[in-house]
Amino acid sequence: MARKPSMGLKASRAIGNTFGHILLVLISIIWIAPFVFIVLQSLRVETTAQVGYLLPKKIGFDNFMFLFSPDCNFMTWYFNTFIISLAVAVLQTIMILMMAYTLSRFRFKSRKALMNIMLILGMFPGFLTMVVLYQVLKLLNLTQGNAVGGLILVSVASSGMGYYVCKGFFDTIPKSLDEAARVDGATRFQVFYKIIMPLAKPIIIYTILTAFMGPWGDFIFARYIAFGEPSGYNVAVGLWSWLTQDQINNHYTHFCAGGVLVAVPVIVLFMFLQKYYVEGVTGGAVKG
Amino acid sequence: MATVKLTNVKKIYQGKVTAVHDFNLDIADKEFVVFVGPSGCGKSTTLRMVAGLEDISEGTVEIDGVVVNDLQPRDRGVSMVFQNYALYPHLTVYENMAFPLRLQKHPRMSNDEIYERVTSAAKILGITQYLTRKPKALSGGQRQRVAIGRAMVRDSKVFLMDEPLSNLDAKLRNQMRAEIILLRKKIDTTFIYVTHDQTEAMTLGDRIVIMKDGFIMQVGTPAEVFDTPDNLFVAEFIGAPKMNTFKCELLREGDKYFVAPFGAKIEVDGEKGKLLREKDVVPGEIILGVRPEHVAIASRPGPTAIPTTILVNEMMGFEYHLHVLTEDGTELIVRVPTLNLNDEERAKLVAGEPLYITFEGKAMHFFDVESEYNLIYHEEQPVEGEEIIEDAE
Repeated sequence: MARKPSMGLKASRAIGNTFGHILLVLISIIWIAPFVFIVLQSLRVETTAQVGYLLPKKIGFDNFMFLFSPDCNFMTWYFNTFIISLAVAVLQTIMILMMAYTLSRFRFKSRKALMNIMLILGMFPGFLTMVVLYQVLKLLNLTQGNAVGGLILVSVASSGMGYYVCKGFFDTIPKSLDEAARVDGATRFQVFYKIIMPLAKPIIIYTILTAFMGPWGDFIFARYIAFGEPSGYNVAVGLWSWLTQDQINNHYTHFCAGGVLVAVPVIVLFMFLQKYYVEGVTGGAVKG
Repeated sequence: MATVKLTNVKKIYQGKVTAVHDFNLDIADKEFVVFVGPSGCGKSTTLRMVAGLEDISEGTVEIDGVVVNDLQPRDRGVSMVFQNYALYPHLTVYENMAFPLRLQKHPRMSNDEIYERVTSAAKILGITQYLTRKPKALSGGQRQRVAIGRAMVRDSKVFLMDEPLSNLDAKLRNQMRAEIILLRKKIDTTFIYVTHDQTEAMTLGDRIVIMKDGFIMQVGTPAEVFDTPDNLFVAEFIGAPKMNTFKCELLREGDKYFVAPFGAKIEVDGEKGKLLREKDVVPGEIILGVRPEHVAIASRPGPTAIPTTILVNEMMGFEYHLHVLTEDGTELIVRVPTLNLNDEERAKLVAGEPLYITFEGKAMHFFDVESEYNLIYHEEQPVEGEEIIEDAE
């Protein structure tokens, strides 16, 4: 008679699950703690300065009211950031999709060389070009007060280089679909928007999201290009200006409230597009 | 409805690999031409050059008398059915079929007319009940019908099919093959059909173009390429199971020709003997070709009988395919109809049993050992690439 194993499969699985879940809960707590902290701070109204305790003594929306008040620049910054992100999301997505489609479908001279050059260029951190870009934007009068235009230009101009994921996805769409459509009477552009675009929905959503997120959280370039001119700040630079030595005690809770508001559009976007986002990231692998 | 003319068409990849050499062919209006050959022979490449999906390296392609080399696929007036169906996955069957019609500009088609055309094509193909489905929810055969439907809703001049049946299972393939024959009568346009399957080529084509390594080996009707193969390649490629071919001595005694395969001596009689005499073929070593159906079982040993041993017996139902081994180790295939065999005779046709066979002299094929051309039927071409001169007149 076979010896009964000392521990059943069920039991060992249950123990494994328990440990796994405990670990996950711990990680989640570490992950969520800063968010909870910042939300709590944003609701604290007894003082705008930093304090040594976690739970507010008095709760209210005063900090948020301050952000919306006319003598606060926050709405300008928020609006700047939103305009930049929106413009970049739209333009960059168009650029990336067309670039990826071209590199996926067309065969032209030095196509490989172009891709290699972009790969190598992409390895350098973007802010290495900061000094030159600043000079160029200054010549174009796109700095300080006009930083919004400058930041859009900087993001969009280099956006073609982010074609990799998208091209990988296009490569999995059979070429014969393009060919069939071309024989059926479609121009190259019609093939692109009538056949490829609908099939690439997940990757388009993914591209829009990443394109939106980039400038939304941008700090280095935004600060450099808009320096010293609050009307050209984006929200990250603006909020950061409240954290300087002389400002922090007046604005600490405002900073937290601003942080919460910054998260709102991103959360909303992700909630609606999460399904596609995951599909977009994994889609290429599954389809291939 | 249109003629298609390919003149000295070449395809050279990256200036190095030549996939198609000097392809010359005149396709008549409403003709059904099949390009057939093993994979890599350039048949699909040639079709794709007609479609406009591949650049033409040299030569010209004319559709209806117009050189289309530099025209986009959409401007050539061709429809195409792809091997992998190439249905648009995000569109319903109806929209898939309506796609080419919606793109038409001159004249722009009304929705009513599109509906009319799509439904009538769907009716012919028996896919009316699937019009609202997405391609994902269809079987392979249904998808292929949709692909054909999409190609047929337009009044295209030339109908191109690139191995349309090779993704289907054998049974469905046979069924679809018959349907394509019927369909062809209904569509009544010029067809170019690419396949690697000689059965499809034989059953569908008015004319067959047999290709190998980018060269045309023979162009002819199914009967022509079967009965009078120009060379060894065509002889072996057309017909299933394939023709038995082996080296053998051709003898001449007075007015009569004989072959001496495997120690036997068989007279070449009938038409073939006459043609050999007319051509005054020089006796000597040749490659002899005998189709499996022209190998007969000899009842007893004799001067015309070849002793063999049965290697494998494939029971096909209506016939046996016997693989037999001659004494010098050559493997031959023999087709034996099962209809007239009694149980006793059947019992003898098993692996390991001896079997005497003989060849029907009037159905033999003779090929040159060096050039592999058919000694009777091969006509010398004037100069390579100029065989169309007489057609052009």
